[in-house]
This record gives sequence, C-alpha cells and structure tokens, in this order.
Amino acid sequence: MRTFLAGLLLLAVTPATPLAAQDAGPTVGAKAPVVQVPDLDGKPVDLGRYLGKQPVFLEWWATWCEQCEALLPRVRAARAEIGDRVAFFGINVAVNQSPERVRRFLQKTEVPYRTLYDGEGVSTRAYAAPATSYVVIVDRDGRIAYTGTGGDQDFLPALRRVATP
Amino acid sequence: MRVSALVLLLVGAAVPLAAQQPKPASNPTVVLVSGPDVGHSAPDFTLAWANKDGIGPAENPYQLWRDRGKTVVLAFFPKDFTSGCTAQMQTFTDQYDTLFGSDVIVVGINADSLETHQRFAAKLGLPFRLLTDPDLKVARKYGSYDSSGRPRRTVYVVAPDGRIHYRNLKFNPMDPKDYSALGAAVREARGS
Repeated sequence: MRTFLAGLLLLAVTPATPLAAQDAGPTVGAKAPVVQVPDLDGKPVDLGRYLGKQPVFLEWWATWCEQCEALLPRVRAARAEIGDRVAFFGINVAVNQSPERVRRFLQKTEVPYRTLYDGEGVSTRAYAAPATSYVVIVDRDGRIAYTGTGGDQDFLPALRRVATP
Repeated sequence: MRVSALVLLLVGAAVPLAAQQPKPASNPTVVLVSGPDVGHSAPDFTLAWANKDGIGPAENPYQLWRDRGKTVVLAFFPKDFTSGCTAQMQTFTDQYDTLFGSDVIVVGINADSLETHQRFAAKLGLPFRLLTDPDLKVARKYGSYDSSGRPRRTVYVVAPDGRIHYRNLKFNPMDPKDYSALGAAVREARGS
C-alpha cells in the first residue's frame, strides 16, 4: 500500500510532458485548424476558403511587437518572391491594442499580407499561438509545414517548398 | 478510507487542468497537477526581487504574508525577454490600471537572475516587481513547475484574506479572454 501511495504522490507532483510544451502550438504535419477571423472592419474571413486549397502563410502580430517589426522585412521579401502562389494573412492579436490602433499603424507601415483582427482570440486558441511573431505555413493539402517565432526566424525554405507546384 | 480520500483528491485536482489541455496528437498523457485551489490558503514564500529601478536589498525580500489585507496577483512565467513573456508583461504594464489598479500587488516569478529581471523590467518599464525563484521551489508549491526547468505560465489572484480567489493554470498571453477573466477576478477579489 505504501508503494502504491508513493507512486500516486509521485504522479501528482511530476508534471506530464504536455505541460512542458505549454506554449507550443500544433505540430508540423498536423491539419491546420479552419477558423473564421474578422478583418479590421469586423467582416468575417473564412480561412477554410484557402486552407487545403492553396498554400497559406499566417503570422500572429501586434503593433507593439518588436519581433514582428524585425520580421517584417523578411516577410516583405518573401511575398515579393513568392507572390500570389501563397495566401498571406497577418492576424492581429486583440491583446493590448485596438482596430483603430492597427489602422493608424497601417497608415504609416506597408504590410505584405491581408490584415485580420482576432478580437475574440479564436485563431489564437485554435493554433495555440504562443507569442506574437508566430508564423505558421500551411501546404496546399492543408497540413502545417512550418511553425516558428522571433524576428530572425528563417521560414523562407519552407515557404518555397509549399509554393512549388 | 484514507486511501480513497487521497485518490479522490488527486483525481479531482487533475480534472480541471486536463480539461484545458489541447487534444494530443497521439499517446494520450495523464495530466496531474498540484497547487492550491480556489478557496485554499495561498502558501507563503520569501523571494529576492528586482524592479525597473534596481535590485531589491537582500535584507528586504518579498514575503507574501506581508501583503495580507491586499489583493495580490502572482504571475509565474517561463523566461524574461522571450516573445510570449514580453507580450504578457507589456500588456500587464500598459493595462495596469484597468487590469489591476493601484492598490493591487502584482509580482512576476520565474527562475531568471535578479540582474536579468532588472534589465527586463527596465526595458518594458514594468510598474511591479519580478521575483527570482532559482530552484523553482515556489513554482512547485503553486503547481507551476515545468520539467523544462522553467515555470509554466500561470496566474493566481490572492484575496485580502490570504486565500486563492482565482487561478488560471494555463494562462495564454495571446488570448484576450484570459486577460478579461484575470481583470474580472481581481475586481472581485478587491471587493471581497
């Protein structure tokens, strides 16, 4: 009985593996969740119109995010190279900003993607987005080909792969 | 009888967090956690601190019991200067008045050094202290220990009576609903 109790207590104080990956999003190879996210005017955009039909680039960002700002030139260059072979979306997180603040930002800064504003955090939860600057690249079959965060992440090889017919 | 009660307690503690976990891709894993639940007394602790202005004096560490009578927010977070933690701490800072209020004590806790804490707090202009829990003893007390060597991201609201008023064992720094729930819990605790 003592052994059983000791084992039970050990289980109780030893965190299981998924907790170590608390901030991790869906894994490469998994199906990308299909969600609807509003644009800046509140009009819902169904990502299901794109996911599984063509490659998709998603970045969760915010106007206050320094790493997103650092990443922006890479995204611009990638969009210039890849063009419309991939659908580019920049999803604003509704944390510590407003649609008005995003609009003001966009008046001064050109972004290379269609801007969405996830006021309810639907996409954030579906993708378990761990941070701003989180990039997910989805192949034409709707499977996740890349995930990463940070201003210096190198997503271009994955983007080139999914963009290749 | 005692064994039954213990098993019930452990299983009961596991259910709320397990329900919050995303569906695993394969090999389902049992999730069991510890840490004080709502209504329980907040375990006391003493930790060294730093803020945007410098490192706190060694003879004057942060002690939870000293803030009895006030609402206290304990925010365990993985690591200074990382993107998710920056998003969380910057939001706490920018929305301090609406989320917390001037009479609420907020402390951030992880294993980083006091020097790192001071630089992080200064960079973001944090209006609250960051505590150093080098071996994560306090994180373990609060069910916020992660086998990676960093705390899990959790928040606790301790009411003025010293009891846990609210906890979120999977706080998402990108989810507006988590901030709304935290702010509401703080308002409730301040009024309790």
